[in-house]
Amino acid sequence: MAGLSLKHIYKVYPNGTKAVNDFNMEIADKEFIVFVGPSGCGKSTTLRMIAGLEDISAGELMIGENVVNDMEPKDRDIAMVFQNYALYPHMTVFENIAFGLRLRKLPKDEINKRVTEAAEILGITEYLGKKPKEMSGGQRQRVSLGRAIVREPKVMLLDEPLSNLDAKLRTQMRSEIAKLHAKLQTTFIYVTHDQIEAMTMGTRIVVMKSGFVQQIDTPKNLYNYPGNKFVAGFIGTPQMNFFEGTLLKKGEEVEIKFEYSDAKITVPYSMMYKARPSYLDGQSKVYIGLRAEAVSVNPEVVKASKFKIKVRVSHKEELGNQTLIYGDINMDGDGYTESSTRIIISADATAECKSGDVIDAALDISKVHLFDKETEQSILPRIPEYNYIDCEVKEGKLIFLGAELKLPPAIKTPDGKYELLIPTDAITTGGKDAAITVKDCENINGKYVVSFELGERTMFAVADEEVKHGKAKIDVDLKKISLIKDGETVVEAMPEKIRLEGKLVKEKVVEQVETDGKFKKKKVIKFFLQIEDCKLPCPDSAATKLITAMGVKKAFTEKLIYECSPYDLTVAEEGISASVESVLDYGKEKFAVCKIGETTACVYGEAYGEVKLLPAVDKLSVIQAANDIRII
Amino acid sequence: MAKKFRSKKAVEHGTNAAIYIILTIISVVWLFPFVYLVLQSLRGESGIVGYFLPHEWTFDNYIKLFTDNSRFHFLKWYGTTLAISVAVTVIQTTIVLITSYALSRLRFKMRKPLMNLMLVLGMFPGFMSMTAVYFILKLIGLTQDMGLVGLILVYVASSCMGYYICKGFFDTIPKSLDEAARIDGANRQTVFFKIILPLAKPIIIYTILTAFMAPWGEFMFASLIMNGNEQYFNVAVGLKEMLTRENIDKYFTQFCAASVVISIPITVLFFCLQRYYVQGVTGGSVKG
Repeated sequence: MAGLSLKHIYKVYPNGTKAVNDFNMEIADKEFIVFVGPSGCGKSTTLRMIAGLEDISAGELMIGENVVNDMEPKDRDIAMVFQNYALYPHMTVFENIAFGLRLRKLPKDEINKRVTEAAEILGITEYLGKKPKEMSGGQRQRVSLGRAIVREPKVMLLDEPLSNLDAKLRTQMRSEIAKLHAKLQTTFIYVTHDQIEAMTMGTRIVVMKSGFVQQIDTPKNLYNYPGNKFVAGFIGTPQMNFFEGTLLKKGEEVEIKFEYSDAKITVPYSMMYKARPSYLDGQSKVYIGLRAEAVSVNPEVVKASKFKIKVRVSHKEELGNQTLIYGDINMDGDGYTESSTRIIISADATAECKSGDVIDAALDISKVHLFDKETEQSILPRIPEYNYIDCEVKEGKLIFLGAELKLPPAIKTPDGKYELLIPTDAITTGGKDAAITVKDCENINGKYVVSFELGERTMFAVADEEVKHGKAKIDVDLKKISLIKDGETVVEAMPEKIRLEGKLVKEKVVEQVETDGKFKKKKVIKFFLQIEDCKLPCPDSAATKLITAMGVKKAFTEKLIYECSPYDLTVAEEGISASVESVLDYGKEKFAVCKIGETTACVYGEAYGEVKLLPAVDKLSVIQAANDIRII
Repeated sequence: MAKKFRSKKAVEHGTNAAIYIILTIISVVWLFPFVYLVLQSLRGESGIVGYFLPHEWTFDNYIKLFTDNSRFHFLKWYGTTLAISVAVTVIQTTIVLITSYALSRLRFKMRKPLMNLMLVLGMFPGFMSMTAVYFILKLIGLTQDMGLVGLILVYVASSCMGYYICKGFFDTIPKSLDEAARIDGANRQTVFFKIILPLAKPIIIYTILTAFMAPWGEFMFASLIMNGNEQYFNVAVGLKEMLTRENIDKYFTQFCAASVVISIPITVLFFCLQRYYVQGVTGGSVKG
């Protein structure tokens, strides 16, 4: 029984294809994690990397307390169930299940006991003497499960185990695997392309596409709060309806206009607090997502609803317990092909309408999802990144929503009205700058999203600990705020990361080495991180990681990007040459704006003139510049 | 008006009849030399004769072959050939299986160029290098009395070049079996011996048969390396001696008997392993 930790995991094939990109996840002990996504999304590759069947190109994989990147599969204490069962055809069922135990040289009695127990759990006792070819697909998959569970592994890996079974057997086996997880109380990682399997079995689901993790969340949250259009469309049957449209703020209301149709609805602005104001200009294109069950044609619901659109019915699918009505919100649309105006409505089995009818449909606006048309990311994220607030700068003070903050010397801008961007992680409670009301504190995946009431607006902050309702004081980290005037950023937030280009170099160094009590001079190879004119000693472990990930030749020839925070660079006697251009004074903290070669970087502290900067090597992230892989 | 059709059964019967007639003719053509050989080996009259059926039937030719060592040492040749063939079979089968498994399962730099190189090298006939091979063997003392070792070395030297069919068969065994076994706790050797080999019986039989057959009837290298040392002849080189101008009249019928005798082990092997042999060839060629 163990948890897993995947940190910046990459899989890059020799031809340069990136199968998995920067996979990060913490899996707790006894969790049932499902990797889901379309073919070629990297889910099986990730599972095979966990199993040790594929090498990890970069990153760190931990099972329990051990880093297992270079560990053989047999030593990882994992078991795996394959899509094609992978039973040994020349062995009986008993021998198949006992194979792993025999290799581990367990006593015969123990093997017999474990195999018999597993066979009883899986209901295959009467087949123990048979060969796999004499069994059906479902029975074979049970044997495969049996072979995995007798090993009593720390982690069970299942690679599309039900794909080869028929629909009825799949449903049955689904329940049995869930039951097995409850009984064994071990960590399960399950790969599937079937979203129903994912939704019904997983405690958490990882949705993947083209090698990237799209979202990691519980089945319910994935369904209710998809982070992007892909997740919204992938999870749920029938697929979510997507319409193109624009949002226009009119006072305390927002008008949602559907493109290629006359349909429009007006919703309260309170729904859009998390959205960036630039989306509400009536010009920016967004996708409007509505699930089939968020649209109703029930006459009573329609009558009571304020949010209605006209739908021209094209056809319907009667499923017995419900009817799916296909239509179009464009009166000239056909409703058959997937388009920006096609709509699917989940209605009662008794719903009556026929092809060609134009009917009113009520929209449940509390279940509307909005996505940016370009990035396809949700513009109403569950954990917002920024607060977008109108503000005013007056006499060195920042005034917004009734709150007043004194601006530090680093932020200089003429008096006037601005749009203020405050990152949600820049707001902390417990300070003494302002006293406001905490309206809500919601735990989302271990983070607390705190809503503050500021006048008639809501402001969000992300906290690591729960904040109590009621009055609280907040503190704003002013180096993270931005001020925008007429669409142009006039005050930029201080960059949180410094990125410097460099290389890995090796040199032969003569060292005094002690052998048998005598000191001898010996040539040893030492590794250095070269940044500009400075060579920093590189720990052997870091050099090994770079050489393993990039290959011996590329590690020393390719360009690397070293990344650190402004706090990880200090002024020292030796280090990277830099010239200080100015000093940013944020009151409590001061940062020197330094020019390092062509790069400008803000470094914590006060300094002037020509200086040397020394990075904290243990805090440097190293990125392979050519394909943007974070190796350390 | 309804169109007239020929009966499907009549067509089938006609086709089958034609096929059987053709096959019978081919079989007769193929079997004739063997039948002729058997009949000649049972003939009592010596020398080459102009008729097909013997006038006098006898087993003397077979008996003399094994008992009369005054001129030829057939029994010794037979033993030598058998020893060479068995040794070559064991070594070659091992090398071919190991090479094929490595090329099928392991991914290493230069794998494909190596496979192509072996394919190209295999296209050159072995006798091209015969003279060079002879001098090398002579240099290290593996001709004449040590010719047996030299001969085995020559036969097994290029064994791994015959990996193609065997690799094709291994390719048809799902890799997930190897992976499942590795997760179960097996290392590469255990996977090979406990999972792959038991599943590869047909191709092992095929490899054994081909490895056995090649040295069993080989003439050129054997005659070159033994270089007239009659004690260590194999059957092919030895039998050639029976057909010289001075011996042919006396030993022709014994030669025929010897030819029948040397075909026995292969025939028996074939009959016993025919089922696996066919499986091996087809199984390996499907995805190879």
